[in-house]
Amino acid sequence: MRPFKYTRATDVAAAAKTVSTNREAAFLAGGTNLLDLMKEGVAKPSELVDISGLAFSKIRSSGNVISIGSTAKNSDTANHALIRRNFPMLSQAILAGASAQIRNMATNGGNLMQRTRCTYFYDVNMPCNKREPGSGCGAMEGINKGHAIFGWSDKCIATNPSDMSVALMALDAVVKVSGADKKQRSIAFADFHRLPGDTPEKDNTLEPGEMITSIDIPMSSAGMAANSYYLKVRDRASYAFALVSVAAAFEIKGGSVAKARVALGSVSHKPWRCDQAEKLLTGKSLKDLNDASLRAAVDAELMDAKPLEHNGYKVELARRAMVLAFKRALKSEVVA
Amino acid sequence: MSDNFPELVDELTADEAELLEEVLSDLGESRRKFIGQSSTAVLGAVVLQFLAKRTALAGEEMAEFVPLGDEQAVKVSFRVNDAAKSVSVDSRMTLLDALREKLALTGTKKGCDHGQCGACTVMMDGRRVLSCLTLTAQCEGRSVTTIEGVAKGDVLHPMQTAFIKHDGFQCGFCTPGQICSAIGLMHEARNGELSYVSKDMRKTAASITLSDEEIRERMSGNLCRCGAYPNIVAAIREVHTGKATDPMAVIFDMSKEGSDATV
Amino acid sequence: MSEEKTVKNRKNKFIGENVNRIDGIFKVTGTARFATDWPVANVAYAVIAKAATAAGTISGIDSAAAEKAPGVIGVITHKNAPKLTPAGNLSGGSVLQDAKIEFFGQHSAVVVAETFEQAQAAAEMIKFTYAKAEARVNFDELIKTAQKSPSPARADVVRGDFEKAYSAAEHKLDAVYETPIEHHQPMEPHSTIAMWEGDNLTIYNPSQVVMGMRGAMATVFGLKPEQVRVITPHIGGGFGAKGGAWGNTALAAMAAKVVKRPVKLALTRQQMVNSVGLRQKNVQRMRLGADATGKLAAIAHETSTHTGTTSQFVEGCGDVSAMTYAVPNSLISYKTTAMNVISPTFVRGPGKAPGSFALECAIDELAYSLKMDPIEFRLKNEPDKDPANGRPWSSRSVVECLRRGSEMFGWKNRKMEPRQVRNGEFLVGSGVAVGSYPARQQGTSAIAKLTRKGTDVEATVELAASDLGTGTHTILAQIAAETLDLPISRISVKIGDSSLPPAAGSVGSVGAASFSNAVSEVCLQCISELQARSPKSSGPSDPVPVNVAELMSEANLTEFQTRVDARPPAQAGQYSSHSFNANFAEVWVNEQTGMIRVNRMVAVTGAGRILNPKTTRSQILGGCIWGIGMALHEESILDPRWGNFVTRTFADYHIPVNLDIGTIDVAFVAEEDKIVNKLGVKGVGEVGIVGVAAAVANAVFNATGKRIRKLPITPDKLM
Repeated sequence: MRPFKYTRATDVAAAAKTVSTNREAAFLAGGTNLLDLMKEGVAKPSELVDISGLAFSKIRSSGNVISIGSTAKNSDTANHALIRRNFPMLSQAILAGASAQIRNMATNGGNLMQRTRCTYFYDVNMPCNKREPGSGCGAMEGINKGHAIFGWSDKCIATNPSDMSVALMALDAVVKVSGADKKQRSIAFADFHRLPGDTPEKDNTLEPGEMITSIDIPMSSAGMAANSYYLKVRDRASYAFALVSVAAAFEIKGGSVAKARVALGSVSHKPWRCDQAEKLLTGKSLKDLNDASLRAAVDAELMDAKPLEHNGYKVELARRAMVLAFKRALKSEVVA
Repeated sequence: MSDNFPELVDELTADEAELLEEVLSDLGESRRKFIGQSSTAVLGAVVLQFLAKRTALAGEEMAEFVPLGDEQAVKVSFRVNDAAKSVSVDSRMTLLDALREKLALTGTKKGCDHGQCGACTVMMDGRRVLSCLTLTAQCEGRSVTTIEGVAKGDVLHPMQTAFIKHDGFQCGFCTPGQICSAIGLMHEARNGELSYVSKDMRKTAASITLSDEEIRERMSGNLCRCGAYPNIVAAIREVHTGKATDPMAVIFDMSKEGSDATV
Repeated sequence: MSEEKTVKNRKNKFIGENVNRIDGIFKVTGTARFATDWPVANVAYAVIAKAATAAGTISGIDSAAAEKAPGVIGVITHKNAPKLTPAGNLSGGSVLQDAKIEFFGQHSAVVVAETFEQAQAAAEMIKFTYAKAEARVNFDELIKTAQKSPSPARADVVRGDFEKAYSAAEHKLDAVYETPIEHHQPMEPHSTIAMWEGDNLTIYNPSQVVMGMRGAMATVFGLKPEQVRVITPHIGGGFGAKGGAWGNTALAAMAAKVVKRPVKLALTRQQMVNSVGLRQKNVQRMRLGADATGKLAAIAHETSTHTGTTSQFVEGCGDVSAMTYAVPNSLISYKTTAMNVISPTFVRGPGKAPGSFALECAIDELAYSLKMDPIEFRLKNEPDKDPANGRPWSSRSVVECLRRGSEMFGWKNRKMEPRQVRNGEFLVGSGVAVGSYPARQQGTSAIAKLTRKGTDVEATVELAASDLGTGTHTILAQIAAETLDLPISRISVKIGDSSLPPAAGSVGSVGAASFSNAVSEVCLQCISELQARSPKSSGPSDPVPVNVAELMSEANLTEFQTRVDARPPAQAGQYSSHSFNANFAEVWVNEQTGMIRVNRMVAVTGAGRILNPKTTRSQILGGCIWGIGMALHEESILDPRWGNFVTRTFADYHIPVNLDIGTIDVAFVAEEDKIVNKLGVKGVGEVGIVGVAAAVANAVFNATGKRIRKLPITPDKLM
């Protein structure tokens, strides 16, 4: 690890300015991913600006949104009464990630900033366009069991590892950010993470120096609280990244699906919103929800999947996992 | 076997301290003075008095300053096992390395140094965290408890006693992290906090009693390669529920259906 | 004098009791010192830099930046490294003796600095250039041209006429089972503090074989063994990886010599995959033939595997097929191909663990095709003597293990046809498998020292044994206390130090038998020597009751010590001695996600006299959990293009976590074996894992109807 300057930020604008002027500077919050990457030699900041002391750790109700502070800890967020009551699927997703210790350290903003777990990205001896643009993709012709089946490019086939983000995608969250010139803006969750395209080094649409201040979830998504589920499939029972994960949430009104929100994790460079499946499920009468109709919605979504050499299983796994997540979300509402 | 143990004393004599130094540095001759099957608490008291003394002494020393140029040195004031510490450290130094290499608290272990094994678990302001992914610089104003500080006063923490009783370890390398994690888990349960295997996220309770399945999930951030997991669960269950169990009991009851796999 | 009788008449009874670990207090308070926990003044920190290519030579090293980096006090490469005498695992370029590269991640430089951070940063600055050679790293290609193993230990073993019997058999199985490369990954990475005083080297270094480590360091540095001291009272797990000496220990000592200061060197977790050995990938073709009644007629166990390029180590997967069942016609063979990987070595249950996966799955498959219960099938083929060598068993308890386990598990409720039991989303299935591991005692010396103050006697037993979590400290204290008839609190156990009397290693399940017999003998010898000296005693023929305090007092002694050089009993070689087990697993398979939970296991073991059921049970639990990891999780994957492991970390190389493990019930069957050694101790470190993976895989078949012959059984394989 190269030497770096460590400063504790007391002021948002000053912190943002430091990071926007020094391209080698980085924000430090929980540090659970950044320090890991620094020890691997993947991240080499010359300066760390510790933003964990900034006043973004509140979780509160604000008008028609629940606002989740960016420096609030993952564990505090998952256990917060407002989140449990209104967005239990978000609690589940957060709790599906990492370990209790890491959730006690990791922040919400940091969770969204997590970088891929692609082993070629992590090993500095391997080629990786994300880590070192132009060096090639080690995974493309390599061991790509854990890689993307949607939205990959010839430059990068990595997946986003965040569980929390998959739930936030399905909950129509909005990411609030603050920039160097104190400029604030809102980014729809679907626009926050990006596909790799020709610039896989960029995971998201933040500008240099921009800092996440909060993640806002509309209260309109709370209508799905009773019928939502986050399912994570992995190679061991806990403390492992997903092979495939599913966030499934439904609002049931008058015996039919008024709203359906579905997102997949670990299948793409970003959390994968399943518009096709949502469309086919919305408006369906509960009486018509059965294995066949759920399966049809899923199949429509997975038609465009493009598996690689070692991850063909993900298509079938996603198919089954989605149907299972739908059933768990819908519970007794549906006769399977 | 209590007659085999020395009288407990409030203060250790110089001889006893020397003896204990030997105990702690080696499984040498002196252990016999203190070891017994049934009285770990008694042993613990003596060891812990000694540890407290040693820790207090260490607290008076300012840790060594590493000359790297002003830019990279960070001054940090924090508490470790209830003793105030002021150190100047390389900005790169993790809490784990500061504990081990600067503060002579080698109980906390480096199993992977990347947040993937839990051996370095300590408590920060009462919550379990990983010291390998914490920069010392981030500890300003915080209070850290390591395995050396788990047993305050003159007896072992019940979790330590339960780990011995239930043989919750073999090699012992992951054990400090397991115990710190288990104590953190108990706090979390008392706060009614959830895990991924909790049945209903929406149901809130002030305090919850954990099933074995809940304990397993909540301890899954602590790897044990020797495979002491069932014993670790038994130790935690005993402390958590307050119900003593027989460590050698055959657990599976054929009259009941198997436990509930949840994932 | 009857030794049996002497020990039976003790007031202090500890042998066979559930004594808590005597070192437990240190382990729960963080005061047990592992290698890098020792306080050593003026210590410098070393970090290894590794090669990033799998074959060829290092053609250039740019270490200028590293040498100038803050705090750096030494950069050692093959260009300036002291010349050593490498042997064994220390050969093959691992100690910087030349430019040749044998595998990806070979040690290529050591940086020593004032702090760990400085050493680590400087190590990253070293730039290597390579003259690359074609690397032998693609297993699937290389295995096609594998040749008969040149190792004499892996020559063909032929019994009867396999081909003839197989072709004539009514029921046949021909299947290939595959196990991946696995790594030991003990929780304590290999780490060392090395220091020199003149030409004398002291290392704090986790070593399963204390005297072996001393010998290896003496050889590599050209020293007399007495010039090396190895200190290792606690070992943070080993499982074979800390059995031999690897380059990292020698490099720590070398660095300490170069910088003339004590040096601390710990491998990173990522470096563990190419520093301290591995379990090789095994492709095992099994052919079994049986008659209509289920009597086995023929068995062939043909293993194709790889070695490193610098060693011929091959684990004996076929051993299980030579001795588990009574089969008149058998063939055991090995084909190998050299690969540019760190040398394969012993890993828990060496040979037997992967071998039993193949054999015990094959047995299950054949039983199923015969529509026979797999336990009945095994009982039908139970051998009355060791088929491998014709020797009588010193004791054998496979049948007992199966019967007892069957009752505990409720095997009678198991359905023979798969997919019959469902619980919600889960398919439930049960499987069984047996295992064994040789029981041996090795020569071990021990000293007992008695000190008397009035009527109070304290005893210390000393031997260069080791405790890697197995419970050595505790069982030796139990034996000494009971034999000398003293409270256990009066016993000290000094082990893990090469300055003590030479002892066997904690490897291959020889530790407990070797150490405990030596301690028993030295304590008995203490008594008889004291009796001989005591004027009141009528001599050694009058041993009961024992009162060492009285004996010492009568002989007017306040100090007494004696030593034995214990040897295995002569008759042991005429028998076949093994520990045995039967493993039962119930798995729950999520039919949709393919995630598998071993919801409960029953493991029944016959291992002679159990010195401490509590710690022994823990070892069996560990074996079961290793077996579950082998069955469901563990896999080290090489990139076939470059020879690097893509599974470098605990995030990529999955070992079981707490939630992966359900209920495990452990039981021991009584085995009184007077032949294997005087105490009748067999050892359990290895046997616990043997057969477990097969029991799990067989249960997965019973649950799902899918026969997965390639480990680990991950969800993708059930799609």
